[in-house]
Amino acid sequence: MDNPMVLVIALPLAVALLNLVLPPVLRKLLIVAGLVAGFVLVKGFFDAQPPDLSLLGAVVLSLDKLSLLALAFIHILSLIIFVFCLKGLDAATEKPFLVLYPLTVAFASGAVLCPNAFGFLVFWGLSGLALYGFALLGRGERAASTAKKTFIIVGGSDAFLILGLALAGPASGWSLAGGPVSLGQPAGVLAFVCLLIAAFAKAGGFPLHTWVPDFSRDAPVESAAFLPASLDKLLGIFLLTRMMTGAFDVGPFVRMAVVSLGTLTVIIGVMMAMVQHNGRRLLGYHAVSQVGYMIMGVASGSALAFAGGLFHLINNTLYKSGLFLALGSVEKRAGTNELDELGGLGRVMPLTFLTALVASLSISGIPPFNGFFSKWMIYQGLLEKASSLSKGYALWLLICLVLAVFGSALTLASFMKFLHAVFLGQRRERYAGVKEAPANQWLATGTLALLCVGFGLLAREIPLKIFVMPAAEEAGLAPAGSLGLYDPRLILLLFGLAFVLGLIVFGLTRKTRTDEVYIGGNVQSEEFRVAGTEFYREITEMRPFKGIYAQAEKKTFDIYELGSKATFGLSHLLQKAHGGLLQVYVLFILFGVLLFMVLAG
Amino acid sequence: MTAQILFDFFVFPGIVFTAVLGLLAGWVDRKVSARFQYRVGPPLFQNFNDVFKLLGKETILVKTGNRWLFIAAPLAGFAVLSLAATSVGTALFFGRAAGMDLIVLMYLLMFYSVLIVLGGASPGNVFSSLGAGREVKLLLADELPFILACLVPVVRSGYKLDFGAILAYQAGHGMLVASVSGAVAFVVALLAVQAKMALPPFHIPEAETELVAGPFIEYGGPLLAFWKLNQFMMLVVFPFLLILLFWGGFDLRGLGLLWGILKYLLILVLIIIIKNTNPRVRTDTAIAFFWKYLSPLALAAVVLAVLGV
Repeated sequence: MDNPMVLVIALPLAVALLNLVLPPVLRKLLIVAGLVAGFVLVKGFFDAQPPDLSLLGAVVLSLDKLSLLALAFIHILSLIIFVFCLKGLDAATEKPFLVLYPLTVAFASGAVLCPNAFGFLVFWGLSGLALYGFALLGRGERAASTAKKTFIIVGGSDAFLILGLALAGPASGWSLAGGPVSLGQPAGVLAFVCLLIAAFAKAGGFPLHTWVPDFSRDAPVESAAFLPASLDKLLGIFLLTRMMTGAFDVGPFVRMAVVSLGTLTVIIGVMMAMVQHNGRRLLGYHAVSQVGYMIMGVASGSALAFAGGLFHLINNTLYKSGLFLALGSVEKRAGTNELDELGGLGRVMPLTFLTALVASLSISGIPPFNGFFSKWMIYQGLLEKASSLSKGYALWLLICLVLAVFGSALTLASFMKFLHAVFLGQRRERYAGVKEAPANQWLATGTLALLCVGFGLLAREIPLKIFVMPAAEEAGLAPAGSLGLYDPRLILLLFGLAFVLGLIVFGLTRKTRTDEVYIGGNVQSEEFRVAGTEFYREITEMRPFKGIYAQAEKKTFDIYELGSKATFGLSHLLQKAHGGLLQVYVLFILFGVLLFMVLAG
Repeated sequence: MTAQILFDFFVFPGIVFTAVLGLLAGWVDRKVSARFQYRVGPPLFQNFNDVFKLLGKETILVKTGNRWLFIAAPLAGFAVLSLAATSVGTALFFGRAAGMDLIVLMYLLMFYSVLIVLGGASPGNVFSSLGAGREVKLLLADELPFILACLVPVVRSGYKLDFGAILAYQAGHGMLVASVSGAVAFVVALLAVQAKMALPPFHIPEAETELVAGPFIEYGGPLLAFWKLNQFMMLVVFPFLLILLFWGGFDLRGLGLLWGILKYLLILVLIIIIKNTNPRVRTDTAIAFFWKYLSPLALAAVVLAVLGV
């Protein structure tokens, strides 16, 4: 048991248990110590890979490059997000939060370290349970129903995971690293679908994504940054990557089907995000949309897109948690996360605004930020793949590619609305006294923003070289040759030079004064304020989107609602059938006997 | 290497060349537009005078607005267009890549729209906020057909994103605009570009009769001069991009130069004609036009391109 991998799981577990009894002052300190120690341990894994750990003849803990990538970012993000949690947690739920937090780190680490089907299942399930725990900490009136929904979708998908692992078990040797399981047999296909459901539910892929926006709205904002934006993405895409690279023998049609689901996730997620009036729900839908790019990259079968997909996974965790936390800072200062209520806060919360701006540009894929680099790799990979496919498949993939690029424009549009509604436009009088977020909060969001910039500029040298490419090589999907022509540092340098030139011209010629905004000769009053939430009304009122949005409003496409309707409908039928009349029961028995005789031949 | 890049960027085909040619193209635009309306039109250097005059005017900053963003947006827009001009120009004239391919360029051009939105939204004026919102909607409208149209040269040149490959394909197989898929894609791209430059009939964000100047309403002095200059620079960047993607490139030697200038003037005049013969369309009409009519057309061009037609 002296294997350091055990410590990576046991340490946060011990911290969580101790936090149950420790006085409040020590809890945060202990978590920081535990996370730092875990971080140091994981850093050590890069220098010396720990040996596999076996128990009762089966490998229970093993570290390969993919799990190292996931493990590293579980720890990096946990640490950064916890810096945000140091001040400003909801006092009423602080204790359970501080127990659940290290527990989640332990379970997530366990899930990526355990290749054994049973162990993986246990850690995966427990991390879902921790998610439910966080959902229960929400304080809004809808928090309880959101927690139930999260539990049913994520917990329900665990049942599929069990079924999938059981079906694939004999062929894969009960290991995620075993296989490949053939998709030629019905059992193989069923196992694949079951595991896909589990991965999609965890990561928030269409159509199992509906818990993400609700959780994002109702759970504590720190947990939204921690789980659906970061750790659950890492886990879900980790499982999907395992499925696509070795666990199953995946053919081109299945790859295309999964890529198409990824494309649908991109478009549906972002189209829903565009019309949201609640900041957290908007970010939640984007958390869904971004998974689509990862799915496309990982599933396409192209080496470049695969590496791009993994890189996008890392990038997404950075900017998405940054966005949730930045909104969290705003929410804690302004008292609301409703976009219609906010506005003009960029002037009073400049640091938070800057971090949100960087994260928004990153998620929209603006060069030279990190989100662009990974998307660019995915697009190139998809094109490269299309060139090697037959014309039909090539066209199919090209349409997915176009929708993905267009999804980026939609993301941009949605974030322009978000930035306008929260930080830009006219400020309400009541926010004149709002102050910048506490130092720990902007330190966390600032670090995430810096990482977004750094990973964009030094993509080839740091994230790709250290984390992504080793994992891609191990999966046999190392991109051949150079990554392409894009040179982010040259672009930034030239951009900077032109910008400075502009600044010099402005500086030399400027004569400035300040004044109010005038409308029709009068100072603009608050009645004129444009929140920005209605920017896209034309799109929502255009056919066929109007009908689709109306149905979405009624939750017609929500798999949870559909499932509950089906369940209640079925139970209603059964209820009706049980009328209490003896004759009816006799008829049932007769019918059953007849059916049995027919089936028995 | 470094000196070469700096020359490319600052002088030719970057900032100086693009700015001067843009201001002259702006003059062509104003002169031709004037002729459409039986006016004489401005003298050759009027645009230069206008920009220099603005440099001497006062800048008014809004008290409660986001000042650094208000100042940074037009300057960053200038930097983005300088980058775009350099990457298109170096590929077109010298066959060199300036750290970019088509995807990078498309995203950079999207960034330009973002800067208009951020600049417009920073002062908190109701008209500029509405204009900023319209700018995003216009971007959404034209982006889908634009992506599809740009995909045609990519597919035809063997699924390559770099400008060199697209030009090399056309050098070997003739201009793309001479093929069915290329011609259709060019028409779509031209209309999308019209919207990207927010020229009539797609001057929806500025809409002077409704929103006065839209996102630019609070701008004056040097900052407005930069927005104006950006507008003129786009008159170079986009036609050159279309020449690169569909018209086989621009040879600086011998008759090629004349042929190149003719291609540029042809596209410029087409843009000016569209501008002068159409009234402004409503936002929803523009979105419907691009999404419901041009996008399927562009998709058909992509299908044809995959089939090699």
